[in-house]
Amino acid sequence: MDILIQNLINALALGGTYALLALGLALVFSIMGLINLAHGELMTIGAYALYFMILWAFPFWLALVGALLCAVVAAVLMERVAFRPVRDASMATMLLTSFAVSAILQVAYQNLISPRPLPVAMPSFLGGAVEIGSLQVGMIQLLALGCTAALLLLLVWVFRYTAFGVAMRAAAEDFDTTRLMGIRANALFAGAFALSGLLAGVAALFWVAQRGSVDPLMGFLPVLKAFIAVIVGGLGSLVGAVAGGFLLGAIEIALRALLPSDLLPYRDALSLLLIILVLLVRPQGLMGRRREGVR
Amino acid sequence: MPFAPTFARDLFGAGVLLVPLALVALAAQVSSDGALVSAATLMLISLIAVAGVQVYSGNSGVISFGHVAFMGLGAYFAAWLTLPSSMKARMLPDLPALLSGAELDMLVAVFPAVAAVACAALAVGLTIARLDGAAGAIATLGLLVIVYSLLIGAQGLTRGSQALFGLPLSVDLWTAFVCAAVAVVLARLYRGSNAGLQLRASREDEPAALACGIDVVRRRLGAWVLSAALAGLAGVLYGHYLGVLTPRAFYFNMTFSLLAMLIVGGMTTVTGAVAGTFVVSLIVEGLRRFEQVGTIGGVTMPELHGLTTIGLSVAILAVMYKLRSGLTGYLEIDERWRRARAGRATVGAAAPTPADSAGTSGTGIACRGLVKRFGGVTAVADVSLDLRPGEILGLIGPNGAGKSTLLALVSGTLTPSGGKVAIDETDVTGWPSYRIARCGLARTFQNIRLFQHLSVRENVEVAATLNAAGAIDPRAEAAPAVDALLARFDLAELAGRPAGTLAYGPQRRLEIARAAAMRPRYLLLDEPAAGMNQTESDALLRMLQALRAETGIGLLVVDHDLRLIMRLCERVVVMNKGRVIAEGPPETVQTDPNVVEAYLGRRARGGASAAEDRAETASSQE
Repeated sequence: MDILIQNLINALALGGTYALLALGLALVFSIMGLINLAHGELMTIGAYALYFMILWAFPFWLALVGALLCAVVAAVLMERVAFRPVRDASMATMLLTSFAVSAILQVAYQNLISPRPLPVAMPSFLGGAVEIGSLQVGMIQLLALGCTAALLLLLVWVFRYTAFGVAMRAAAEDFDTTRLMGIRANALFAGAFALSGLLAGVAALFWVAQRGSVDPLMGFLPVLKAFIAVIVGGLGSLVGAVAGGFLLGAIEIALRALLPSDLLPYRDALSLLLIILVLLVRPQGLMGRRREGVR
Repeated sequence: MPFAPTFARDLFGAGVLLVPLALVALAAQVSSDGALVSAATLMLISLIAVAGVQVYSGNSGVISFGHVAFMGLGAYFAAWLTLPSSMKARMLPDLPALLSGAELDMLVAVFPAVAAVACAALAVGLTIARLDGAAGAIATLGLLVIVYSLLIGAQGLTRGSQALFGLPLSVDLWTAFVCAAVAVVLARLYRGSNAGLQLRASREDEPAALACGIDVVRRRLGAWVLSAALAGLAGVLYGHYLGVLTPRAFYFNMTFSLLAMLIVGGMTTVTGAVAGTFVVSLIVEGLRRFEQVGTIGGVTMPELHGLTTIGLSVAILAVMYKLRSGLTGYLEIDERWRRARAGRATVGAAAPTPADSAGTSGTGIACRGLVKRFGGVTAVADVSLDLRPGEILGLIGPNGAGKSTLLALVSGTLTPSGGKVAIDETDVTGWPSYRIARCGLARTFQNIRLFQHLSVRENVEVAATLNAAGAIDPRAEAAPAVDALLARFDLAELAGRPAGTLAYGPQRRLEIARAAAMRPRYLLLDEPAAGMNQTESDALLRMLQALRAETGIGLLVVDHDLRLIMRLCERVVVMNKGRVIAEGPPETVQTDPNVVEAYLGRRARGGASAAEDRAETASSQE
């Protein structure tokens, strides 16, 4: 029983991180049709910012804020510099552009910072565990769980009740009509990217806290998985993206717990395979609507 | 011969592409410079893989990041067969006895290895071929990661992340050349084949391709398996040229450079694949030398990681920002030549031969109690409607009455929430739209859906080959019918133009010509006269009447142009708020009080002429 609850908490914590990444990806995709393969590099930027600010002896809370800010600014810059020229182009054009941007940033990190993993000195209280009844819950898991829940609630509030949030949701539904309502496209794109940068930044913090190091390629795998979560949730559906993220987290933790040890090396392959198999049953994803004519 | 069989034409096109390949191979051979021969060999091997990716991504429009995984599988499968058994015993303890004893020649091993890759691709493709655009691209990326971690995880079969070495070095420049030539010819023939044409149509517009009776998923699956087999072939050669394999070799960097080659050259043509492979290989070679030398004009440069990656990224970005469709655009080199020649010579208009009748037998389309709900909104509520063979039926109603939804339900673009649709007594309720199309039902769309980057002729051809599916060369078989239709709809002069470049009127005509090319027994037209002036809509009227007279086709016309509807149709059905409110000959319907009310509201009782005037003004203002 205890192990089950323990695993449930782990699944929610990991799934929450994927959900944050997936939500950022889905937001950008549904508003401008861009599959942003460089999203992982936003995560990496956030992580490097954290590394340097801790290295330069900033207070920890300031380092956290700085890391998030860095990710947000980088995201907005990325939209402005790299994606604006291809904004009206086809999905494939935008996808390949982001592919190239991602590669350039990876090489830049390798040359300007370090090709090797750098250890991040996280404060020691994060390494501890909290006892709840007979349960030992890792501090990081607990924080990840709490922060994800708080952030998702906050986003629900923003999307429901603020003008910015409603415009964002409207644009995700139907971008052209939203523009006709007098909402500025540039503001929308910048907003969507800023938000996705923020989400990537938060995800980066938990990722680094868990693993204790930063490397130039750290963003690739989690973001790829988050992408697959987005598809499984249903491309274009924000709620679906979050659901897909949690589903992925649950599958990974379940495999980690249940898989015999000689199959453990295949863990990543199996979890990706399982989640792609969902698409065999529902090609449009869990919450995706069937587009007209595609069946 | 104005229209030689397309197969011969494509074979010629492929032959043209082999010339530069042969020149490069010869030049490398003559120079007998080891580095040059090696660069040329690797370039030819890359070309095989690039041609493979082109077959899938270029024709279907779904970008694949996964083909390098098939290269890896091909390489490892072949290595299991060709490695000396003593080395296999040492490095690959888990290999089954059947394999660990085998010491085949690479030229033999390549066949089972490529076949195994094709089987793997078939299994994977059952999922991936169902996904379009964005979802498909990401799923292939997932495939890359899955295969990579399998290769690393299966220690006893692959030696994990350590290098597997000792593969016989049985690939030289000319083996690579022959295989590259095979790959280029296959890719070029596939692109020009009927299957390739259908897949390209689905790349341009999937709903329209389905409405033309194309089984898009099946076409994607076929291309996927062929392209994976080519990638597998490239992998086998790669392994037996270098003699060493690591999973890392078949991962992100390789994917990146192959995609860069395809994109820089132009994804949609094999010409692009060849050109891109040449150009990018040159760039990579240049940058690699630069990386090694490290000094420019006596100044020692700091060590740079990934200079080639930067170079490739910049090349991709330059193409994306400036060219979009790559160096070669949407035309193969031989197509470009033909078009240039055709531009100089005057196009001899083919004599219009009447298309043979599709037959007027059958009982018509019968809709019974059709319902469609979108969430809480009921767009179509309990509609029963018949379209009899050979009749012209008008369907009118105010905006939002459910007319287009009804067409979507009949043609299978949407699945009804309730009720039945039967075509000539075959119950087609819930069938996918491509199967309904094959039952003899064609349609046009309210917002024109053409295959933009295909030529006018190819647009009609895609639909016409539906009836020639059994022929050896369906495109050649359908050619006379296509000529006749182009002439009939006044499009013969424009036959070579990309459909997307036509003016509005010809675009509408082309869409109808494409639908007629399927030789349907029933044709649904969704607002064919929208945006047309009176002269154009009169011409359309005559065209549709002639089409009916010659083929005995049943027409269902939705339009707001009441003048057209009243003159064209023998029977008119009026819908409002998802229901049929009136039905009958045009004269009776015009004066029906329900219809007047639907168009003008309850208080206005101005009579039929007022209703007509009002509706006409409305349609001319649109």
